[in-house]
Amino acid sequence: MPEEMFVQVENVSYTHWNQDTPTLKEVTLDIRPCTINVLVGPGGSGKSTLCSLFNGEIPHLLGGKMEGRVVVDGLDTRETAVRHLAERAGHMLQDPETMFATLYVEDEIAFGPENLCLEVGEIRQRVERLLEEIQLMPQRSNLVWNLSGGQIQKLGLATILAMNPRMVVLDEPTANLDPQATRQVYELVLKLRAQGITVLLVTRELDDFLLASADQLLVLKEGRLLAAGPVQAVLDLHGSELDQMGIWLPETVEIGLSVVERLGLQSARLPISVDETLSFLGSQRLLPAELENPAGDHTSQPEERQALVSGRELSYTYPNGYTALKGISFEIYAGEMLAIVGRNGAGKSTLARLLTGLLKMQTGALDLFGKPARSWKVEQLAERISLVFQNPEHQFLTDTAYDEIAYSLLARGIDDEVQVRALVDEWLERLQLTPFASTHPFALSAGMKRRLGVATMLVCHPQVLLVDEPTYGQDKEMTRTLMAIMEEIRAQGVSVVMITHDMRLVQEYAQRVLVMADGQIIYTGDPSALFGSADVLRSANLRPTLLQELLAAYEASGGRVVSAVRTPMDFFNMLDFSRWKSSDVN
Amino acid sequence: MSTSEHSLAFVERSSLLNRLYPLVKLAWVFTVAVGLFIYRTPLPGAVMFVVLLALAMIAGRIPLRQILGSIQTIFLLGLLLMVFHFFADPGRPVFNLGPLVVTDTGLLQGPIFFFRLSVVVLASFILIWTTDTRDLMVSLAKAGLPYRLAFAVFLALRFLPLIQREVDAVRSAHSIRGRAANSGLGHRIKLWQRYIFTVLVNGLRKAETTATSLECRGFGSQPTRTYLKDVHFKAADLLLLLITVAVSAGLILVERAYWP
Repeated sequence: MPEEMFVQVENVSYTHWNQDTPTLKEVTLDIRPCTINVLVGPGGSGKSTLCSLFNGEIPHLLGGKMEGRVVVDGLDTRETAVRHLAERAGHMLQDPETMFATLYVEDEIAFGPENLCLEVGEIRQRVERLLEEIQLMPQRSNLVWNLSGGQIQKLGLATILAMNPRMVVLDEPTANLDPQATRQVYELVLKLRAQGITVLLVTRELDDFLLASADQLLVLKEGRLLAAGPVQAVLDLHGSELDQMGIWLPETVEIGLSVVERLGLQSARLPISVDETLSFLGSQRLLPAELENPAGDHTSQPEERQALVSGRELSYTYPNGYTALKGISFEIYAGEMLAIVGRNGAGKSTLARLLTGLLKMQTGALDLFGKPARSWKVEQLAERISLVFQNPEHQFLTDTAYDEIAYSLLARGIDDEVQVRALVDEWLERLQLTPFASTHPFALSAGMKRRLGVATMLVCHPQVLLVDEPTYGQDKEMTRTLMAIMEEIRAQGVSVVMITHDMRLVQEYAQRVLVMADGQIIYTGDPSALFGSADVLRSANLRPTLLQELLAAYEASGGRVVSAVRTPMDFFNMLDFSRWKSSDVN
Repeated sequence: MSTSEHSLAFVERSSLLNRLYPLVKLAWVFTVAVGLFIYRTPLPGAVMFVVLLALAMIAGRIPLRQILGSIQTIFLLGLLLMVFHFFADPGRPVFNLGPLVVTDTGLLQGPIFFFRLSVVVLASFILIWTTDTRDLMVSLAKAGLPYRLAFAVFLALRFLPLIQREVDAVRSAHSIRGRAANSGLGHRIKLWQRYIFTVLVNGLRKAETTATSLECRGFGSQPTRTYLKDVHFKAADLLLLLITVAVSAGLILVERAYWP
């Protein structure tokens, strides 16, 4: 007799009510009780739809057509009312803020149990326990919309746990969180399993910490289940396929994959943790005494740098009394790739809004392109300094992707039809949007909206481009494309400023990084030095990337890192180079 | 960065008025309003205005600055209304101001309208400043309004600040796309259509998701529900209502005695 399963999905296909083709195709999977199950897949593979299968949203609330059978805790979802399923499986949406129905943190947790008509004493107990567990006790009387990104995720989780479910489904719970908050969410997930709760977690970024504890890895591709099984087995078998699908793998796994594939080594087991990677490389006799870049370092900064923007002692206080900036000073130089990092609420967005003139200067001096900020009009400034918003929908003004780009040109006085057509076509092509030229901007996928937002800004050649979370919602491949374009315009002299949580992005692309915490700049300088300063990282809620941890462990075990290592590929090339060197010597 | 902390919002100040049963406060606003439409002279209105101001500051612990900040627009509107009445009401001319004639009825009616407006608005503001919307909803539900209906009202109020936030975001995003400065009326109308479109599409999308997720948390699954933070009616709460009726009635009696 096989082990009792908590969830059985049998041959499920599902078509949304407003679509012709199924989003899920003949999906069959099992989930054992008290396990952590990680589901990955590229954008549009049906991950979010799959999340709606367990609490009865499908087939009861979302309409559409479902075939096959889903059994949760012995109950067929088709035959069980949503309110009964609510106490079996809870679904935390990608944006938990849309789940909130009340004003205050504790009310929000109480909302579900209140609906179930539980005794007030029981509800109070649950609220107290959850506030404690998710560490929101100090915020219990806060308004829900004054929470930080990480707190919103935690509260979202608490609202579901308040129903005492036996399973929670978390849809990309860490998509917009800083590295430290991400780790906290994963730690909570481990705690849940220890309490006997089954977890299904959807992500597009496989984290080594999570993988080390996950019981099952599921891979979804174009609505079909491509693989399911223990993490190690799925990675060993499908690792390179995942990589090609644009899934972010841990950097250690990427290095392992390169070694296995490019050097033609036969390995049964890909390394995941830092230790595993070092011993794997050691056992293959690949670990040299020194890591050196074959091409030499080319990270030298230009000597004479022209500051396009410079701020002195800038402070900003919102009308409600919240001081977002506390006397910061900084420069933005021509043609640099600058990253601004820091936790949510550190003042990054306020700074961006001051730079674009959306907020008026209060105290301090801000010089933009040789003129004080006060003498610029927002519209004039927009021709020099562009901001790509986090939610691109806010920026759209027209009814097609084509018109959207053309609008930017018209607004700058470029109205020659031939010229406009040529430029718009060029940018549609560059950002792989040509087939969607006549699509309504709101009907594009999240990733495409983001690219269109970038195109509308780049087409008019700003001197400074500010991008808020450039890679949010993008697969690895698209991130590469976007960053390659930014790198290209940077080389032409445009300053690119990215506001981001993504430390891999900082490591790989940023020339200079500016770390903000509590309205102050606590670090300015080289990214590689940042990863070495634990204090700065801690104050800003950041973590070193896995690659940096690997390098640190390598140095601790006696190795020497001579050149800058920005990507797993760099690391691999250095291994390859030293192998080549040593074979040359021999 | 929240828009929720503007001056017209509930803040827990543990004041007497905070602790009052919400439904009683709602009834109180109506009582105050009814009185204002019975008064025939400006004096009772003026008295009520001072009483309410004192009530807000003492029993409600609302800082005077906040009161003045919120009410100044209404004040201006009231003054305009008053001046309008000076000239517009038919009656015996008192004096001329160029081609305009100020009448005696106008001089009497102007201040009456000024106080009607100011006092009713001040009373509703006191309700808003001292009452948690959630408590008002709970007390409405307990008074017999179906909880789903009461909650719908609450949700609508809850989403207002969020919609404001969304409008702000769209407006700033649009302004950096350029051209807003030198554009004609037609273009501006188009821009406005776009604001509404964007806010509406996003709002509807969110509302749909919220509705589904509420249902998944058991909303509407039972004919009633429990409340963690219940509100309780105390007979003493009626005092406010009684005192207000007494003051108002007293004012009317005095008024009728001297100005029959």
